[in-house]
Amino acid sequence: MIERFCDWLSRTGISIAFQSANWFVPLVQTVHIIAIAILLTSVYVMSFRLIGITRAGQPLAVLAAKSTPWVWATLCVLLSTGILLTITEPARELLNWAFRVKMLLVLALAGILLLVQIRMRKSPEYWTESPSRRRAARAIGIAAVIIGASIVTAGRWIAYV
Amino acid sequence: MFPTIETVHVFALVLVVGTIMTVDLRLLGLANKERPFSQVASEMLPWTWVAFSIAALAGMLMFSSKALTYYGNIPFRLKMVCLLLAGVNMAMFHWLGTRHLAAWDRGRPPLAAKFAGGASLLLWTTIVAAGRWIGFTT
Repeated sequence: MIERFCDWLSRTGISIAFQSANWFVPLVQTVHIIAIAILLTSVYVMSFRLIGITRAGQPLAVLAAKSTPWVWATLCVLLSTGILLTITEPARELLNWAFRVKMLLVLALAGILLLVQIRMRKSPEYWTESPSRRRAARAIGIAAVIIGASIVTAGRWIAYV
Repeated sequence: MFPTIETVHVFALVLVVGTIMTVDLRLLGLANKERPFSQVASEMLPWTWVAFSIAALAGMLMFSSKALTYYGNIPFRLKMVCLLLAGVNMAMFHWLGTRHLAAWDRGRPPLAAKFAGGASLLLWTTIVAAGRWIGFTT
């Protein structure tokens, strides 16, 4: 089923056009990597605050509010460039286990970011209000750091599995 | 072995690029405008150096696996030249561009500082692009 879809997609005009331009894949991957740089740095800055590795600087709520547009904008860029790469080489991505793991991890990270933001929208002090909330914040921050690194790892391994 | 080292390289380099771009965007007045430049820089740059050390070490290991091939590779040479230029740009900004920092730390940076930020943004984008091109030409 997926094999047939990949086969069909790789024969479409748009896929053939992308495949035949040698510069297309490295260019799109470059944009993809720069977007990952901005996203991962934003996520790590916030996660390090949630964990308590960094304390100084601006309050968590201000930090989160400022990074929110960057996070979702870069996620849109990542999704668009990812779709372009998939159209170019459907079988390389859609039939690949590292790719599937990566997509699940991306969903998990997006869920975590949404949770952190939604809770703070109701009350800016949400994650620092009580010792139990601070523990939850630390766990969420650690999870985001690990998932972020795992996404990069799974992404690079698409080329090797 | 190679994919593992490459993964470490990619993970470290996205953090190098992300932290440097945060500082560049502050210089250009496109992000963190309300915060002093010195605060943004001192929060970001220590992490940049940690990540850069890891990326450089992993990069050297990757280079040593096929040294002659990489040495003759045009995108590889372009990447090394841009890394050197990025270093020179940073050193010049550090020595000359921050002499009157107190005057603009909380406000708009002077043109020379904006230029340094723009040059850094351009150089690091080229470094990523050239780095990606190495994989398609070796």
